[in-house]
Amino acid sequence: MFGLPDEFTPGFLARLEKLRIRTRQRYAGLGRGMHLSPKRGSSLEFNDFRHYSPGDDFRYIDWGLYGRSDKLYIKLFQEEEDLLTYIFVDASASMGYPAGDRKFESAMLTALALAYVALASGDRVMLRVLGGKGAKVNPSFVNGRHRIVELARRLHDLRPGGQFDFATSLATELLSIRRAGKVFIVSDFLMLLNSVTRGLGMFTAASMDLTAVQILGGRELNGQGLDGDVEVVDSESGERLRVSIGERERTQYRDTMLRLTREIKSFCLKRGLHYALYTTDQDFQQFFVRAVRDLGLAH
Amino acid sequence: MGLLYPGALAFFALIPVLVLAYLAKERPSRVTVSSVLAFRALRGFRRERFGGWPRLDWMFFAEVLILSLVVLALAGPFIWKRTAPLAVVLDNSAAMQAATRLGKSRFDIAREKLDAELSAEDGGGEISVYVTAPQPRRVAPPFSTLTEARLALSRIKPTDAPNDQTTLENFLSNLASEARLAKVIFAGANALAAPVPARIHPIAVGDAVANVAIGSFSLRREVLGAEALHASITIANFSPDTRTLDLVVTGDGKEVAHAKEALGARETATLEFPAIPPARIYEAKLAPDDALALDNVAYATAGSVKNVSILFISPTPADAEGLNSIPGVAVTAKSPDSYSPDELGTYDLAIFEYAAPKELPGVNTMLVMPPPGDPVFGLTVTPTAKVEIAGWRTTDTLTDSVNFRLLSLRGGEYFGAHPWMSQVVGGNGGALVLKGERGAHRFVATGFNPFPYLGRRNLPMSVLTLNAISYLAGLGGSSSGYRTGQPWLVPAGVARVILPSGRKVGAHPGTLFTDVSEQGVYELVGAGGAQTPRAVNLADLTESDLSSSPLLKVEAANSGSTAEPVMEKSSVSDYLLFAIIALTALEALILYRRHRTIEAAP
Repeated sequence: MFGLPDEFTPGFLARLEKLRIRTRQRYAGLGRGMHLSPKRGSSLEFNDFRHYSPGDDFRYIDWGLYGRSDKLYIKLFQEEEDLLTYIFVDASASMGYPAGDRKFESAMLTALALAYVALASGDRVMLRVLGGKGAKVNPSFVNGRHRIVELARRLHDLRPGGQFDFATSLATELLSIRRAGKVFIVSDFLMLLNSVTRGLGMFTAASMDLTAVQILGGRELNGQGLDGDVEVVDSESGERLRVSIGERERTQYRDTMLRLTREIKSFCLKRGLHYALYTTDQDFQQFFVRAVRDLGLAH
Repeated sequence: MGLLYPGALAFFALIPVLVLAYLAKERPSRVTVSSVLAFRALRGFRRERFGGWPRLDWMFFAEVLILSLVVLALAGPFIWKRTAPLAVVLDNSAAMQAATRLGKSRFDIAREKLDAELSAEDGGGEISVYVTAPQPRRVAPPFSTLTEARLALSRIKPTDAPNDQTTLENFLSNLASEARLAKVIFAGANALAAPVPARIHPIAVGDAVANVAIGSFSLRREVLGAEALHASITIANFSPDTRTLDLVVTGDGKEVAHAKEALGARETATLEFPAIPPARIYEAKLAPDDALALDNVAYATAGSVKNVSILFISPTPADAEGLNSIPGVAVTAKSPDSYSPDELGTYDLAIFEYAAPKELPGVNTMLVMPPPGDPVFGLTVTPTAKVEIAGWRTTDTLTDSVNFRLLSLRGGEYFGAHPWMSQVVGGNGGALVLKGERGAHRFVATGFNPFPYLGRRNLPMSVLTLNAISYLAGLGGSSSGYRTGQPWLVPAGVARVILPSGRKVGAHPGTLFTDVSEQGVYELVGAGGAQTPRAVNLADLTESDLSSSPLLKVEAANSGSTAEPVMEKSSVSDYLLFAIIALTALEALILYRRHRTIEAAP
């Protein structure tokens, strides 16, 4: 629909428009918006009083307080600004395997859906791609819901590929971010847990509100398609392992995968981060609607 | 249980080879995955682990099983099986078409009784189904189930051919002597004479039925060159009362003769019709209708031309001039080089002078001084400078009115003894004139050449020549004489035959035509499309006599008193083959699916 993936039906877009991004703290934006800002401003929400100074607007003098205290006080209100939303999409080689699971496509769908929620709420969105092949996405903020088409077009030409160190790469990205805001990281997180925690920990240290969205293939999670003696090759490091896979080994593999996801989730919850797991054998629209809270969104 | 070829078991030594090959082939498939993190927890190859066994999955055992089955099948395993083979003989002769008082034909009743008898059998062995006419034969390879045998019985139809009683008796005697047969069931019109061998279970359906019949229908020319034909028709009354029979003869659909004859019980009469006008096909019909309609009709054919047409094949065609002087004779002379057997279809007879055909001619033929070494007739020829006549048959058609004492001959040749031609005139060195019949055609061979002497110069020679031509032209190939069930040689030039039922059958000249079970007119079609009719009739009064069917004498060589159970080797290779194919197909299917799954994975 208008250059968007097929999953973005009018009904789904309507549901996305009813959502907004929820943050645990207030972040200063770049313009007026719907999120409360740490700045004082002209919203209807009262914030504080201060002594009147010449030049202040008479309209904000609290005349009731003047009557009681015979002093002039100016009422201060909170400012409502837009939210700076950063979406990082993992486009490393591991996102391309297993090919039948379409992990990278699912990651792009998730990123676009999150971007649309932000844009529809009047927030600014910066989409960053980690690794990958093809045209790079311009690292600048976009606002206005119509810009979702532009983002979709940019992501469409991307292909997963290459290898990067997760923590280092995120640190580099963090350096380029000048203002704090909401961060979404969409990845399979199939890497050493230490690398994941270091990468995510940097964002919490920078007072960013973070949501980790883990994308795993349905067949990948269950070890389907692997049988007998198999030499498995790591898509990024090229590391090779020779294993015999039977029913028992497949169960063992699945348990390991689930344990890895549990550890990441546990880390996120401990640090006050949001965590959502999407396996590609699920319906994307249903996942997104059901995982609203896990994704750090609200109605 | 046993093995036909136990030596093949040595191939079991291949199984260790298979194991080694399997181990050698068991190389891992390489698969790229997103990350090997979760695989690190899994153990390595079993065969690479200390004390580990090779990974022999069920497919390996399936392959070992397949190989074992193949080796076992090569060894030819068999089991001993108690069988009771059964022979079923159904009389399908013309007499079985006769309707009974029940309204059904004898054949239908016999088949129903056979079916009922087979239903009571336990079907422990194979069942062979035979028919009797024209000759006893098995309709198909032995059936393994009663259902198949009953189905085959239901497809059998009665023929217009009679049974050959002697052959049938011998056939039944042979079956009764077969020790491996548990039972022989014979259902037919003829009862068996006592003592009946114990192995044979007769089902007689030959109740006496009144019947009238035409025995034979023959045509001949009385006088050479005459237009009218002489018809002789034999009729018989096989009913217990005197009957007045009404016989109508039609020629090409028009009535040409009619006669009424009162015949007493079991009386036979020959009706003569001396002047039947020419027609292509004649049909004689006898009234009143009775139980067997087949023998109330007979057919005959004759040439409808007045002149006798002769094809004269000779290296000296001028010799035919003498023949041309005979009234009513039209001669076409040809050299042997320009002769083609296809031409014979349009002539009444052929004369080969100093020549011989390369295949048996399809018309009556005269051979005049044939060359030695002729493979068709196989005449033994001894040339001589002076031919001397020593004797002749006085009552033969050929020698009638010939004064051999006045016959003067010069050079010629003597014939040796011939397998199917008999001597009519003989000389000091052998036969001089031979005659015989083959494939319903007449043949005359002369060791001298009569044609240069025709006319008043040598009157006995002229008479002898006329006698020969009359003999050959009198009963040509178009006359009756063919009977159902009796094969005949396909005449030269005939490419196919149209049966009375309308079915077309390909034919090769000189070969026996055996599709002769139907009564009626067969059309012999030449390569050019010319059709020559040929009448084939039942013409068997023994078969038509439905009031007293002769008893069949069946004797078993080993007294046939007991039906001994037979132990037969029954091969199980077929089952093994089936199992091998099924297992191989299953393995191929699973391999294919597994291959596809792995391909589709990462």
